[in-house]
Amino acid sequence: MNHAHVDELERIEMDEGFVWRPVRRRFGIRAFGVNAYTPREAGTQVVEDHTESQLQHEEIYLVLRGCARFTVGDDEHELGPGQLVFVRDPQLRRSAVALTADTAVLALGGKPGEAFTPSAWEWYFQAYELPTDDGIELLRRGLEELGERGPFYYHLACLEARAGRLEDAKTHLDRALELEPRLAENAAIDDDLKEVR
Amino acid sequence: MSGYEILSLHEIEPVPYHAREGEKLLTVDRLLDYRAAGVNAWLGDPGERLVPEHSEDTDEELYVVVAGRATFTVDGTNLDAPAGTLVHVTAGENRTAVAEEPGTIVLAVGATPGEAHPASGWTSWVVADALRREGRVEDGRRAMAAMLERNPGSWQASYNVACYEALAGNADAAFEHLTQAVRIDAEAVRQLAAEDSDFETLRADPRWQEVAG
Repeated sequence: MNHAHVDELERIEMDEGFVWRPVRRRFGIRAFGVNAYTPREAGTQVVEDHTESQLQHEEIYLVLRGCARFTVGDDEHELGPGQLVFVRDPQLRRSAVALTADTAVLALGGKPGEAFTPSAWEWYFQAYELPTDDGIELLRRGLEELGERGPFYYHLACLEARAGRLEDAKTHLDRALELEPRLAENAAIDDDLKEVR
Repeated sequence: MSGYEILSLHEIEPVPYHAREGEKLLTVDRLLDYRAAGVNAWLGDPGERLVPEHSEDTDEELYVVVAGRATFTVDGTNLDAPAGTLVHVTAGENRTAVAEEPGTIVLAVGATPGEAHPASGWTSWVVADALRREGRVEDGRRAMAAMLERNPGSWQASYNVACYEALAGNADAAFEHLTQAVRIDAEAVRQLAAEDSDFETLRADPRWQEVAG
Protein backbone atom coordinates (compact mmCIF):
# COMPACT_ATOMS: atom_id res chain seq x y z
CA MET A 1 0.00 0.00 0.00
CA ASN A 2 1.11 3.47 -0.81
CA HIS A 3 -0.92 6.56 0.03
CA ALA A 4 -0.95 10.34 0.00
CA HIS A 5 -3.40 13.13 0.62
CA VAL A 6 -4.06 15.30 -2.42
CA ASP A 7 -2.38 18.21 -0.59
CA GLU A 8 0.77 16.12 -0.13
CA LEU A 9 1.22 15.50 -3.85
CA GLU A 10 3.99 17.30 -5.70
CA ARG A 11 3.01 20.77 -6.99
CA ILE A 12 3.96 21.61 -10.57
CA GLU A 13 2.77 25.12 -11.40
CA MET A 14 1.82 25.53 -15.03
CA ASP A 15 1.87 28.80 -16.98
CA GLU A 16 -1.87 28.48 -17.65
CA GLY A 17 -2.59 29.02 -13.95
CA PHE A 18 -3.32 25.50 -12.76
CA VAL A 19 -1.18 23.32 -10.53
CA TRP A 20 -0.58 19.77 -11.70
CA ARG A 21 -0.48 17.26 -8.85
CA PRO A 22 0.97 14.05 -10.34
CA VAL A 23 -0.87 10.96 -9.09
CA ARG A 24 0.01 8.28 -11.65
CA ARG A 25 3.69 9.02 -11.33
CA ARG A 26 3.56 9.34 -7.53
CA PHE A 27 2.29 5.77 -7.22
CA GLY A 28 3.90 4.28 -10.34
CA ILE A 29 0.48 3.41 -11.79
CA ARG A 30 0.76 1.68 -15.19
CA ALA A 31 -2.81 0.57 -15.83
CA PHE A 32 -4.68 3.89 -16.27
CA GLY A 33 -4.10 7.62 -16.43
CA VAL A 34 -4.84 9.56 -13.27
CA ASN A 35 -3.80 13.00 -12.03
CA ALA A 36 -5.09 15.74 -9.78
CA TYR A 37 -5.23 19.46 -10.37
CA THR A 38 -5.62 22.46 -8.09
CA PRO A 39 -5.76 26.17 -9.00
CA ARG A 40 -3.19 28.80 -8.06
CA GLU A 41 -6.11 30.84 -6.73
CA ALA A 42 -9.83 31.20 -7.16
CA GLY A 43 -10.67 32.27 -10.70
CA THR A 44 -7.74 30.53 -12.38
CA GLN A 45 -7.77 27.40 -14.50
CA VAL A 46 -7.95 24.02 -12.79
CA VAL A 47 -8.34 21.94 -15.96
CA GLU A 48 -6.35 22.97 -19.01
CA ASP A 49 -8.28 23.98 -22.14
CA HIS A 50 -7.69 21.00 -24.45
CA THR A 51 -9.08 18.12 -26.48
CA GLU A 52 -8.01 14.48 -26.42
CA SER A 53 -7.76 14.28 -30.22
CA GLN A 54 -4.17 13.07 -30.13
CA LEU A 55 -4.46 10.41 -27.43
CA GLN A 56 -8.14 9.53 -28.05
CA HIS A 57 -8.68 9.19 -24.31
CA GLU A 58 -12.11 9.25 -22.70
CA GLU A 59 -11.81 11.24 -19.50
CA ILE A 60 -13.58 11.66 -16.18
CA TYR A 61 -13.06 14.84 -14.16
CA LEU A 62 -14.26 14.48 -10.57
CA VAL A 63 -14.44 17.47 -8.22
CA LEU A 64 -12.96 16.32 -4.92
CA ARG A 65 -13.59 19.61 -3.11
CA GLY A 66 -14.41 23.23 -3.81
CA CYS A 67 -16.27 24.25 -6.94
CA ALA A 68 -15.30 24.57 -10.58
CA ARG A 69 -16.98 25.89 -13.72
CA PHE A 70 -16.44 23.38 -16.51
CA THR A 71 -16.75 24.32 -20.15
CA VAL A 72 -17.39 21.32 -22.40
CA GLY A 73 -17.92 22.22 -26.03
CA ASP A 74 -20.27 25.22 -25.85
CA ASP A 75 -21.82 24.24 -22.51
CA GLU A 76 -20.95 25.41 -19.01
CA HIS A 77 -21.58 23.53 -15.75
CA GLU A 78 -20.71 24.47 -12.17
CA LEU A 79 -19.74 21.31 -10.33
CA GLY A 80 -19.15 20.80 -6.63
CA PRO A 81 -17.69 18.01 -4.49
CA GLY A 82 -18.66 14.52 -5.66
CA GLN A 83 -19.83 15.71 -9.07
CA LEU A 84 -18.09 14.63 -12.23
CA VAL A 85 -18.10 15.21 -15.93
CA PHE A 86 -17.34 12.30 -18.23
CA VAL A 87 -16.10 13.49 -21.63
CA ARG A 88 -16.62 10.56 -23.94
CA ASP A 89 -15.84 12.38 -27.18
CA PRO A 90 -12.08 13.00 -27.48
CA GLN A 91 -12.70 15.86 -29.95
CA LEU A 92 -14.72 17.93 -27.47
CA ARG A 93 -12.85 20.89 -26.00
CA ARG A 94 -12.94 20.94 -22.24
CA SER A 95 -11.57 23.19 -19.50
CA ALA A 96 -12.45 24.29 -15.97
CA VAL A 97 -11.96 27.38 -13.84
CA ALA A 98 -11.85 27.05 -10.07
CA LEU A 99 -14.49 29.11 -8.30
CA THR A 100 -12.90 28.56 -4.89
CA ALA A 101 -9.21 28.50 -4.01
CA ASP A 102 -9.43 25.06 -2.35
CA THR A 103 -10.79 23.32 -5.46
CA ALA A 104 -9.24 19.96 -6.33
CA VAL A 105 -10.13 17.94 -9.42
CA LEU A 106 -9.20 14.32 -10.09
CA ALA A 107 -8.81 13.37 -13.77
CA LEU A 108 -8.97 9.77 -15.04
CA GLY A 109 -8.19 8.84 -18.61
CA GLY A 110 -7.53 6.04 -21.04
CA LYS A 111 -8.39 4.79 -24.51
CA PRO A 112 -11.08 2.10 -24.50
CA GLY A 113 -9.93 -1.21 -25.92
CA GLU A 114 -6.23 -0.45 -25.59
CA ALA A 115 -3.67 -1.08 -22.89
CA PHE A 116 -2.76 2.18 -21.17
CA THR A 117 0.67 3.66 -21.71
CA PRO A 118 1.81 6.80 -19.91
CA SER A 119 1.78 9.94 -22.05
CA ALA A 120 4.91 11.90 -22.90
CA TRP A 121 3.22 15.10 -21.68
CA GLU A 122 3.75 13.98 -18.09
CA TRP A 123 7.46 14.45 -18.74
CA TYR A 124 7.52 17.50 -20.97
CA PHE A 125 4.97 19.48 -18.90
CA GLN A 126 7.37 19.32 -16.01
CA ALA A 127 10.54 19.68 -18.07
CA TYR A 128 9.66 23.28 -18.94
CA GLU A 129 9.12 24.13 -15.28
CA LEU A 130 12.65 23.01 -14.33
CA PRO A 131 16.03 24.64 -14.92
CA THR A 132 16.84 23.87 -18.57
CA ASP A 133 19.54 21.26 -17.93
CA ASP A 134 17.31 19.44 -15.45
CA GLY A 135 14.46 19.53 -17.96
CA ILE A 136 16.71 17.99 -20.61
CA GLU A 137 17.73 15.26 -18.18
CA LEU A 138 14.08 14.57 -17.30
CA LEU A 139 13.19 14.14 -20.99
CA ARG A 140 16.13 11.79 -21.50
CA ARG A 141 14.86 9.68 -18.61
CA GLY A 142 11.41 9.69 -20.18
CA LEU A 143 12.89 8.41 -23.44
CA GLU A 144 14.61 5.60 -21.57
CA GLU A 145 11.43 4.68 -19.72
CA LEU A 146 8.85 4.91 -22.52
CA GLY A 147 11.00 4.47 -25.62
CA GLU A 148 11.26 6.67 -28.68
CA ARG A 149 8.37 9.10 -29.13
CA GLY A 150 8.21 12.15 -31.33
CA PRO A 151 7.11 14.56 -28.57
CA PHE A 152 10.08 13.61 -26.38
CA TYR A 153 12.56 14.46 -29.15
CA TYR A 154 10.61 17.60 -30.08
CA HIS A 155 10.66 19.05 -26.56
CA LEU A 156 14.23 17.88 -26.05
CA ALA A 157 15.14 19.90 -29.14
CA CYS A 158 13.32 22.95 -27.73
CA LEU A 159 15.16 22.80 -24.41
CA GLU A 160 18.51 22.10 -26.06
CA ALA A 161 17.98 25.11 -28.30
CA ARG A 162 17.25 27.21 -25.20
CA ALA A 163 20.53 25.93 -23.73
CA GLY A 164 22.40 26.89 -26.93
CA ARG A 165 23.09 23.25 -27.89
CA LEU A 166 21.98 23.80 -31.44
CA GLU A 167 23.55 20.69 -33.01
CA ASP A 168 21.84 18.41 -30.48
CA ALA A 169 18.63 20.34 -30.98
CA LYS A 170 18.78 19.88 -34.76
CA THR A 171 19.46 16.15 -34.48
CA HIS A 172 16.55 15.67 -32.09
CA LEU A 173 14.17 17.84 -34.08
CA ASP A 174 14.93 15.76 -37.19
CA ARG A 175 14.19 12.58 -35.24
CA ALA A 176 10.97 14.06 -33.86
CA LEU A 177 9.76 14.89 -37.36
CA GLU A 178 10.73 11.45 -38.65
CA LEU A 179 8.64 9.84 -35.93
CA GLU A 180 5.74 12.32 -36.07
CA PRO A 181 5.62 14.45 -39.22
CA ARG A 182 2.62 16.37 -37.82
CA LEU A 183 5.01 18.12 -35.42
CA ALA A 184 6.44 20.08 -38.38
CA GLU A 185 3.49 22.46 -38.07
CA ASN A 186 4.50 23.37 -34.50
CA ALA A 187 8.19 23.44 -35.35
CA ALA A 188 7.57 26.05 -38.04
CA ILE A 189 6.25 28.59 -35.53
CA ASP A 190 7.92 27.56 -32.27
CA ASP A 191 10.07 30.42 -30.90
CA ASP A 192 12.35 27.93 -29.16
CA LEU A 193 13.35 26.50 -32.53
CA LYS A 194 13.96 29.68 -34.54
CA GLU A 195 17.73 29.17 -34.55
CA VAL A 196 17.37 25.50 -35.46
CA ARG A 197 14.93 25.70 -38.36
CA MET B 1 -25.39 9.54 -27.32
CA SER B 2 -23.99 12.88 -26.17
CA GLY B 3 -20.27 13.59 -26.17
CA TYR B 4 -20.26 14.12 -22.42
CA GLU B 5 -22.25 13.46 -19.26
CA ILE B 6 -22.56 14.99 -15.80
CA LEU B 7 -23.04 12.72 -12.79
CA SER B 8 -23.14 13.29 -9.04
CA LEU B 9 -21.85 10.47 -6.85
CA HIS B 10 -24.22 11.73 -4.13
CA GLU B 11 -27.25 11.09 -6.34
CA ILE B 12 -26.48 7.60 -7.62
CA GLU B 13 -28.82 4.92 -6.29
CA PRO B 14 -26.58 2.56 -4.29
CA VAL B 15 -26.77 -1.16 -5.07
CA PRO B 16 -26.34 -3.61 -2.17
CA TYR B 17 -23.36 -5.83 -2.90
CA HIS B 18 -24.45 -9.46 -2.48
CA ALA B 19 -26.43 -9.83 0.75
CA ARG B 20 -23.75 -8.31 2.96
CA GLU B 21 -24.12 -5.60 5.57
CA GLY B 22 -22.90 -2.26 4.25
CA GLU B 23 -20.99 -2.65 0.97
CA LYS B 24 -23.18 -0.37 -1.11
CA LEU B 25 -21.87 0.04 -4.63
CA LEU B 26 -22.28 3.11 -6.83
CA THR B 27 -21.98 1.65 -10.33
CA VAL B 28 -20.20 4.56 -11.98
CA ASP B 29 -18.69 2.86 -15.04
CA ARG B 30 -21.98 1.11 -15.79
CA LEU B 31 -23.95 4.35 -15.63
CA LEU B 32 -21.44 6.18 -17.81
CA ASP B 33 -20.46 3.21 -19.98
CA TYR B 34 -16.86 4.12 -19.16
CA ARG B 35 -14.60 1.48 -20.70
CA ALA B 36 -10.97 2.49 -20.23
CA ALA B 37 -10.76 1.16 -16.65
CA GLY B 38 -13.03 -0.11 -13.90
CA VAL B 39 -14.45 2.93 -12.06
CA ASN B 40 -16.91 2.53 -9.22
CA ALA B 41 -17.54 3.92 -5.74
CA TRP B 42 -18.55 2.57 -2.36
CA LEU B 43 -20.90 4.36 0.03
CA GLY B 44 -21.22 3.81 3.77
CA ASP B 45 -22.04 5.21 7.21
CA PRO B 46 -19.89 4.80 10.36
CA GLY B 47 -18.98 1.15 10.95
CA GLU B 48 -20.23 -0.03 7.57
CA ARG B 49 -17.86 -1.81 5.26
CA LEU B 50 -17.06 0.08 2.10
CA VAL B 51 -14.53 -1.94 0.12
CA PRO B 52 -15.14 -5.70 0.45
CA GLU B 53 -12.13 -7.58 1.79
CA HIS B 54 -10.37 -9.02 -1.23
CA SER B 55 -7.21 -9.13 -3.27
CA GLU B 56 -6.88 -8.75 -7.01
CA ASP B 57 -5.11 -11.25 -9.29
CA THR B 58 -3.68 -8.75 -11.75
CA ASP B 59 -5.39 -5.36 -11.28
CA GLU B 60 -3.76 -2.45 -9.53
CA GLU B 61 -6.29 -0.22 -7.80
CA LEU B 62 -6.46 3.36 -6.66
CA TYR B 63 -8.97 4.28 -3.96
CA VAL B 64 -9.87 7.93 -3.46
CA VAL B 65 -11.80 9.15 -0.41
CA VAL B 66 -14.23 11.59 -1.99
CA ALA B 67 -16.38 12.34 1.07
CA GLY B 68 -16.26 11.52 4.78
CA ARG B 69 -13.52 9.41 6.28
CA ALA B 70 -12.50 5.76 6.04
CA THR B 71 -10.15 3.31 7.68
CA PHE B 72 -8.30 1.15 5.16
CA THR B 73 -6.67 -2.12 6.13
CA VAL B 74 -4.14 -3.46 3.63
CA ASP B 75 -2.24 -6.63 4.51
CA GLY B 76 -2.91 -5.98 8.20
CA THR B 77 -1.82 -2.32 8.19
CA ASN B 78 -4.47 0.27 9.11
CA LEU B 79 -4.67 3.71 7.53
CA ASP B 80 -6.86 6.61 8.67
CA ALA B 81 -8.00 8.21 5.42
CA PRO B 82 -9.88 11.54 5.50
CA ALA B 83 -11.46 13.02 2.35
CA GLY B 84 -8.82 13.73 -0.27
CA THR B 85 -6.72 10.66 0.56
CA LEU B 86 -5.51 8.48 -2.31
CA VAL B 87 -4.59 4.86 -1.57
CA HIS B 88 -2.76 2.74 -4.15
CA VAL B 89 -2.95 -1.04 -3.76
CA THR B 90 -1.18 -3.53 -6.01
CA ALA B 91 -2.32 -6.99 -7.12
CA GLY B 92 -2.07 -9.60 -4.38
CA GLU B 93 -2.44 -7.21 -1.44
CA ASN B 94 -5.43 -7.95 0.79
CA ARG B 95 -7.50 -4.81 1.20
CA THR B 96 -10.69 -3.59 2.83
CA ALA B 97 -12.11 -0.28 4.10
CA VAL B 98 -14.71 0.74 6.66
CA ALA B 99 -16.56 4.09 6.84
CA GLU B 100 -15.88 6.36 9.81
CA GLU B 101 -18.22 9.25 8.98
CA PRO B 102 -21.78 9.47 7.64
CA GLY B 103 -22.02 9.41 3.85
CA THR B 104 -18.44 8.34 3.27
CA ILE B 105 -17.73 7.74 -0.43
CA VAL B 106 -14.65 5.97 -1.73
CA LEU B 107 -13.98 5.94 -5.47
CA ALA B 108 -12.23 2.79 -6.75
CA VAL B 109 -10.34 2.71 -10.06
CA GLY B 110 -8.76 -0.50 -11.29
CA ALA B 111 -7.19 -2.16 -14.31
CA THR B 112 -4.37 -4.51 -15.26
CA PRO B 113 -1.10 -2.93 -16.40
CA GLY B 114 -0.24 -3.72 -20.02
CA GLU B 115 -3.71 -5.00 -20.90
CA ALA B 116 -6.75 -3.42 -22.50
CA HIS B 117 -9.48 -3.21 -19.86
CA PRO B 118 -12.04 -5.93 -20.62
CA ALA B 119 -15.74 -5.20 -20.39
CA SER B 120 -16.50 -7.87 -17.79
CA GLY B 121 -19.93 -6.51 -16.89
CA TRP B 122 -19.14 -6.95 -13.21
CA THR B 123 -21.21 -3.95 -12.13
CA SER B 124 -24.16 -5.06 -14.29
CA TRP B 125 -23.92 -8.43 -12.60
CA VAL B 126 -23.99 -6.77 -9.15
CA VAL B 127 -27.15 -4.89 -10.17
CA ALA B 128 -28.74 -8.02 -11.63
CA ASP B 129 -27.84 -10.00 -8.50
CA ALA B 130 -29.45 -7.37 -6.24
CA LEU B 131 -32.63 -7.44 -8.33
CA ARG B 132 -32.70 -11.22 -8.17
CA ARG B 133 -32.43 -11.17 -4.38
CA GLU B 134 -35.46 -8.87 -4.37
CA GLY B 135 -37.31 -11.55 -6.35
CA ARG B 136 -37.07 -9.50 -9.55
CA VAL B 137 -35.41 -12.21 -11.66
CA GLU B 138 -36.81 -10.91 -14.94
CA ASP B 139 -35.45 -7.40 -14.22
CA GLY B 140 -32.09 -8.97 -13.43
CA ARG B 141 -32.17 -10.88 -16.71
CA ARG B 142 -32.93 -7.65 -18.57
CA ALA B 143 -30.02 -5.87 -16.86
CA MET B 144 -27.59 -8.57 -17.98
CA ALA B 145 -29.11 -8.74 -21.48
CA ALA B 146 -28.56 -4.98 -21.83
CA MET B 147 -24.96 -5.41 -20.75
CA LEU B 148 -24.50 -8.21 -23.30
CA GLU B 149 -25.94 -6.03 -26.03
CA ARG B 150 -23.32 -3.34 -25.27
CA ASN B 151 -20.49 -5.87 -24.90
CA PRO B 152 -21.10 -8.90 -27.14
CA GLY B 153 -17.47 -9.98 -26.80
CA SER B 154 -17.63 -10.41 -23.01
CA TRP B 155 -17.80 -14.04 -21.90
CA GLN B 156 -18.95 -12.89 -18.47
CA ALA B 157 -21.98 -11.16 -20.01
CA SER B 158 -22.97 -14.23 -22.05
CA TYR B 159 -22.40 -16.46 -19.03
CA ASN B 160 -24.57 -14.39 -16.73
CA VAL B 161 -27.37 -14.08 -19.28
CA ALA B 162 -27.22 -17.89 -19.51
CA CYS B 163 -27.67 -18.05 -15.72
CA TYR B 164 -30.80 -15.92 -15.83
CA GLU B 165 -32.25 -17.83 -18.77
CA ALA B 166 -31.64 -21.09 -16.88
CA LEU B 167 -33.34 -19.69 -13.77
CA ALA B 168 -36.31 -18.65 -15.91
CA GLY B 169 -36.54 -22.18 -17.34
CA ASN B 170 -35.47 -21.13 -20.84
CA ALA B 171 -33.06 -24.00 -21.49
CA ASP B 172 -32.59 -23.32 -25.21
CA ALA B 173 -31.65 -19.69 -24.62
CA ALA B 174 -29.43 -20.66 -21.68
CA PHE B 175 -27.47 -23.15 -23.80
CA GLU B 176 -27.21 -20.65 -26.62
CA HIS B 177 -25.58 -18.03 -24.35
CA LEU B 178 -23.46 -20.57 -22.50
CA THR B 179 -22.15 -21.86 -25.84
CA GLN B 180 -21.23 -18.32 -26.82
CA ALA B 181 -19.42 -17.82 -23.49
CA VAL B 182 -17.49 -21.07 -24.04
CA ARG B 183 -16.47 -19.90 -27.51
CA ILE B 184 -14.85 -16.82 -25.94
CA ASP B 185 -13.16 -18.47 -22.93
CA ALA B 186 -13.85 -22.19 -22.56
CA GLU B 187 -11.58 -22.77 -19.58
CA ALA B 188 -12.96 -19.94 -17.43
CA VAL B 189 -16.57 -20.75 -18.29
CA ARG B 190 -16.34 -24.51 -17.71
CA GLN B 191 -14.57 -23.99 -14.40
CA LEU B 192 -17.31 -21.63 -13.15
CA ALA B 193 -20.20 -23.56 -14.62
CA ALA B 194 -19.15 -26.84 -12.98
CA GLU B 195 -20.35 -25.69 -9.56
CA ASP B 196 -22.84 -22.98 -10.46
CA SER B 197 -26.20 -23.76 -8.88
CA ASP B 198 -27.96 -21.54 -11.43
CA PHE B 199 -27.47 -24.35 -13.95
CA GLU B 200 -29.03 -27.15 -11.87
CA THR B 201 -31.93 -27.43 -14.30
CA LEU B 202 -29.56 -27.85 -17.25
CA ARG B 203 -27.29 -30.58 -15.95
CA ALA B 204 -29.64 -33.45 -16.86
CA ASP B 205 -29.95 -32.10 -20.40
CA PRO B 206 -27.88 -34.06 -22.97
CA ARG B 207 -26.41 -30.73 -24.21
CA TRP B 208 -24.76 -30.02 -20.84
CA GLN B 209 -21.78 -32.34 -21.33
CA GLU B 210 -21.19 -31.07 -24.83
CA VAL B 211 -21.24 -27.39 -23.83
CA ALA B 212 -20.01 -27.22 -20.24
CA GLY B 213 -18.78 -30.67 -19.36
